[in-house]
Amino acid sequence: MSNDATNHFVPVAAELLDVIVETPTIRTFVLRPARPLRFRAGQFVQLELPGLGEAPFTPSSSPQEPERIEITVLRTGLVTDALHRLEPGARLGLRGPFGRGYPVRRFPGQDVLVVGGGVGLAPLRSLLHHLFADPQSARRVSIQYGARSPAELCFRRQYDDWARRDRVTFRATIDRPHDDWDGHVGLVTTLLDDLDLDPATTYAVSCGPEVMLKFVAWKLRDIGFPAERIYLSMNRSMSCGMGLCGRCNIGPYYLCKDGPDLCYADIEDIPYALG
Amino acid sequence: MRFVASDGVVRLADALASQFDLFAPREVDGKLVLARLSEAVGDRPPPAWNAFRLPDSLKPLWFQSGKILSRWTRDGPVPGPVPRPRAVFGAKACDLRALAILDRVLREHDFKEPAWCAAREQNFIVAGDCSDAAPSCFCTMFGEQPWPRDGYDLSLSPVDGGFILVAGSERGQEVLEAALPDAPPPTRAQTAERDEIRAALQERIIAQNEQYATHDPFETSIEKQLRTRIWGRLAATCVECNACNIVCPTCHCFLLFDRAEGAGAVRFSQWDSCFHAGYARMAGGGTPRLQLVERFKNHYFHKFVSFPRNWGMTACTGCGRCIDACMGRIDKRACLRRLETEWMPSEVLADVE
Repeated sequence: MSNDATNHFVPVAAELLDVIVETPTIRTFVLRPARPLRFRAGQFVQLELPGLGEAPFTPSSSPQEPERIEITVLRTGLVTDALHRLEPGARLGLRGPFGRGYPVRRFPGQDVLVVGGGVGLAPLRSLLHHLFADPQSARRVSIQYGARSPAELCFRRQYDDWARRDRVTFRATIDRPHDDWDGHVGLVTTLLDDLDLDPATTYAVSCGPEVMLKFVAWKLRDIGFPAERIYLSMNRSMSCGMGLCGRCNIGPYYLCKDGPDLCYADIEDIPYALG
Repeated sequence: MRFVASDGVVRLADALASQFDLFAPREVDGKLVLARLSEAVGDRPPPAWNAFRLPDSLKPLWFQSGKILSRWTRDGPVPGPVPRPRAVFGAKACDLRALAILDRVLREHDFKEPAWCAAREQNFIVAGDCSDAAPSCFCTMFGEQPWPRDGYDLSLSPVDGGFILVAGSERGQEVLEAALPDAPPPTRAQTAERDEIRAALQERIIAQNEQYATHDPFETSIEKQLRTRIWGRLAATCVECNACNIVCPTCHCFLLFDRAEGAGAVRFSQWDSCFHAGYARMAGGGTPRLQLVERFKNHYFHKFVSFPRNWGMTACTGCGRCIDACMGRIDKRACLRRLETEWMPSEVLADVE
């Protein structure tokens, strides 16, 4: 995504069109950038509140809709707190896209296992849009999703639509039993015990809290996935987004430039890569 | 190649001051520092001769902390200003090496730092041989030498009665012709004198670092120690003051920092330090290197392992500023030596989890 003539520190203005309340702590912000922002599934943008700061997010919307970007945000810090107070009409900034995105070129002819936790389903939804849009993009898609409680299930309105699709399996779980839930209970890794997938012809992509990624990676290795077929959306603090500012490294990798999804084979031997 | 008497350097400074924002070594309270020279010709002190690198690196000239990168105006976001071209006297070989390292990241990369690129296109660098070495100088441990090879516009080599002046760029040649049209070429005796001074100093720097000599590549020693307890011993006196990062000519970590300004906003880049506990802290509070010892290790890993792997150069020039600045008396040379020699398999952690 290089472009010599472009100053990547200067954002593109974006208008906030709509705010969708997903859960008590998660909202989706629908933005119209002043010029189309083309991205590949899994690439991220820096979303800026002018004068306050910015934070990195992978859009949760379709890469095929560069004029209308959706960003799904968990309220958890300075920028995200302020974002959650915004009303439509607000003026924001977008920089990017940055990063490599999901390894979608490897997916045709393969099955894709998507493992999400909490708001980690947001970046994965851009991948789902990509996979749903083109039947050739992958063979089958298996979505395994976990949240702490029923109220915290992100994009709940869309699960039926996903599950009804050909080639698609969708399952959700919550961490502990709850009166409003008659589905699977347990951590998301418990959904991985009885997958109808052949690890030799499947790519696994996971996004969620770091501790979850660690146990998902271990579980996938246990059930026969080669490390080369596991991609994890890693979490690190980022600032510039382009490999200059230095803070997002995991070993020799800059997450902003080489990620944010890294192949487990590349990081499994790096001390503290997964906490 | 020309020979100029010492007053020729003053004429050169005058010529540069008319075109550039000029910086040069200047004595302040008995110490040499890098200072902006007054633009008024009569008042301007001549550039002082620094025998070795100054306490200041050249980094702040073009990579200022607090530099404005962008602004929000009524019409939307616009880029920050491009500063007036700067010229500098007193650059040493290690300083030029540091600029080349920063260029790798900020200029010769898919993504560029536009203000750095613009500044580096326009800057004018007058370099010089080292005529002495600080006790902390260790450029020779990287196979470098205490005189400039490239990356300068003009370079000065001190010889008896003046300097041998060499142009390293077309612009350097033009400035030389215009400012010192009558300067003669050096005599064979003068170039021989220069070569002797150079060789003698290089030998001296090698000798003063004999006790830190290593055999393995630094990368090998560090990777070997990634899971051992040695890092706690190396970092024992580190007080996380960040001085080593700040004085380092190659450290370039920064944080984008936004501030409201009137009805708009302004974005700065602020120098950052990998020794800060909060350096890599994420929203929500998690931080991947909570322990100082992990940050200390990351600093070495980055400079000597991952930077060379990503950019083809070691992110250390052997200038020794970090050694001079460290209030915990941590000596990078000693650390590199200990990483090679203090190998105790008994303390390898089976699993750092």
